[in-house]
Amino acid sequence: MTIPEDFKTRLKIAKSKIKKKILSDNEKSGSFMGNAFKLGTELVAAVAVGTIIGFILDNWFDTKPWLIIIFFFLGAVAGILNVIRTANQMQKEE
Amino acid sequence: MANNPMQQFSVHKIGPEIKIAGIDLSFTNSSLFMVISASVVLLFLFLGTKEKKIIPDKIQLIAEMFYTFVAKMISDTAGSKAKPYFPFIFSLFMFVLFCNMVGMLPYSFTVTSHIIVTLIMALFIFIAVTIIGFAKHGFKYLSIFVPSGVPAVLLPLITIIEIISYLSRPVSLSVRLFANMMAGHTMLKVFGSFVISLGLLGGWLPLGFSVALTGLEILVAFLQAYVFAILTCIYLNDALNLHH
Repeated sequence: MTIPEDFKTRLKIAKSKIKKKILSDNEKSGSFMGNAFKLGTELVAAVAVGTIIGFILDNWFDTKPWLIIIFFFLGAVAGILNVIRTANQMQKEE
Repeated sequence: MANNPMQQFSVHKIGPEIKIAGIDLSFTNSSLFMVISASVVLLFLFLGTKEKKIIPDKIQLIAEMFYTFVAKMISDTAGSKAKPYFPFIFSLFMFVLFCNMVGMLPYSFTVTSHIIVTLIMALFIFIAVTIIGFAKHGFKYLSIFVPSGVPAVLLPLITIIEIISYLSRPVSLSVRLFANMMAGHTMLKVFGSFVISLGLLGGWLPLGFSVALTGLEILVAFLQAYVFAILTCIYLNDALNLHH
């Protein structure tokens, strides 16, 4: 390689600058909409999983409608917990 | 039927029907586009890393950018312990990204707009992360279900809630990707059919919307691949670095 030392360092600096800029741009747009989608599904998914667990346990123990009701609310609590955790994580990232 | 916005998601067989032990394993358009996406990733990375120039050309620069992007994402969210999982997360990110992007081409099929595809990927991640957690920490891994500093009276309730929250991970991971892709593509198709039905006079407004939505969809395609990969990193982090 016959590249002068000066050019090499300049190239390195320029490269890292460009990459940093692109990365931070991506993260900015990512944190905007990605987080909004994240929060929504996080809540719904936990409620759905809770309800399904309640439904299965109800069929097992023959205690229809009680466990499904209890697990629906537990799922809602878990969903809110998930949302709070994700929000905390988002704040930490900033 | 040509105007049905859901028709683009229909799966049909290509070639002969293959049945092994009663399970339908025929090659479908969905599998075709998975193969296409995977080949595009391979081709792109092959071309990008073929000549390792000091001054990179465009394709090498893009390939290196993806590499640093994923490497930074992993080190930021999961720390240095997650380094061995870089190949897995990188291929996952590239596959989801290219499935989404290939789906943006006209006449193509979006693999990730089917929940079965995203659910299988999410379940694989979920089971793998659980196995990694147990392999690294043994039965101490169960302590993620028992947060510290909780009064003993509330402990059973909190544990159940934590378990539901843990089990909801694959669901939220898969539903997010699938719902975003399906909703976006349906919306594009609906606006596209507005252009046709309103004709030369009124079709310009939905046409403009279509163009704007296409841009938005490309953003969403990237974003969802990013979110999918970063959540995998976060789950991996929980399994590798046990602290509560």
